[in-house]
Amino acid sequence: MEPLPGMAGLRSPQTLDRIRRVFIESLHLNVQGEDLADLEQLKEAAGLDSVAVLEFVAALEKEFDIRLEPEMLTIEVVGDLKQLAAYIDERSAQGRPPLESPA
Amino acid sequence: MGTPETGAAAAPMVSSKPRRMPLVTFNDLLWMLYLYPIGWLARVLPRSLLYAIGRLANPIVQFHARDRRAKAAAWIAAACGTTAEHARKIAADSLSHNLFGTLDDLLLVRPGSDSMLCCDGVEGLHHLETALARGKGVILLVAHFCANRIALRYLAMRGYAALTVHNRQPTNVAEGRLGREFLQPRRIGLQRRAFPEHVFVQDAECTLKIMRRLRAGGLVMLQMDGRAGTNPIEHSFLGRRRHLASGVFEIVRLSDCAVVPTLCLGRSDGLRICFDPMLEIVRGSSRDAFVSANLSQFLTIVEKQVIANPEEWRLWNHSLAWRV
Repeated sequence: MEPLPGMAGLRSPQTLDRIRRVFIESLHLNVQGEDLADLEQLKEAAGLDSVAVLEFVAALEKEFDIRLEPEMLTIEVVGDLKQLAAYIDERSAQGRPPLESPA
Repeated sequence: MGTPETGAAAAPMVSSKPRRMPLVTFNDLLWMLYLYPIGWLARVLPRSLLYAIGRLANPIVQFHARDRRAKAAAWIAAACGTTAEHARKIAADSLSHNLFGTLDDLLLVRPGSDSMLCCDGVEGLHHLETALARGKGVILLVAHFCANRIALRYLAMRGYAALTVHNRQPTNVAEGRLGREFLQPRRIGLQRRAFPEHVFVQDAECTLKIMRRLRAGGLVMLQMDGRAGTNPIEHSFLGRRRHLASGVFEIVRLSDCAVVPTLCLGRSDGLRICFDPMLEIVRGSSRDAFVSANLSQFLTIVEKQVIANPEEWRLWNHSLAWRV
């Protein structure tokens, strides 16, 4: 998949690894070792439903202390872990203010 | 005619196994009549004549659903604490309301159909405004009432457009292969034309679209009493154990949106909408804690709505509603 405009060029391996870990932990998936390193698309986790995708997004926002912009809440972005890593790196580089604490 | 049942954003991405079914059933023929001769006539006929067709078709629909009505009446009598005779009348009225609601769907795809919607009153609009003022989006919590679809269109016309969740593959045990393969996609297509702002419960992106709308401060209408997909909650509902959808709780927990119980009654020639004060949501750190803290509150509201207006609830006669 082609990266979205403004999301090319950035993507640290550490960010991708953290995203993969959040993905596995938030959804309680039984994926380990090499399988985890290969994981790039949400659809590779069979049987995942749309509520699970939402849980993943919430866990991701907590992990990186960011709030995904509404236009980023698409399966094209959230479902592609590399693209997601690029987006998060870009947000970090821009030094956006952290997510406000919940009420 | 079978009624599509929509859960609240919790269906799995994978479809269930196909079941063996006859080529054509009587149910298919009714849907064929609805989509074609009646559907074509609905483009030009005035509403009064369309409703006259509905009154003519009602005895046929009632006869076709006689077994389901008998089962529904027993459930209604127990749930509403009424007599067997009154329960039978409610079961029949529920079918009639469903039939006229389905005819209203045909009106909604007509050009300029918004002008045909007659509203007898909107109560509690200030509750909705208060909830919207929080800026975190609002879920309009509803049960499967026949008037929900008309209310969606009316609210959009008044500037309160709400995203809604549809079922792309509603299960109907009375349909044959003709119904499943040919008619059902056309029924769904009709719904898509009538309600452009919708998301299918089967979409991987379903909850993301809902979240997008809520984060933009918008409205989403969700039916609390939908059949569960994944992660169901087993709970007593109207006196029966049911598997209820848990998706609505996850959406509320993760979005921190407001929840406004909403009651929609009537038909396109006399709609009523009532907004209740927004619910006091009990926050919980985990999914299970959140569900156990709020489930009872959500269900009690919906049950009260159904018991107060049993003839307008669509699911009494729905065979899937009887399953645990």
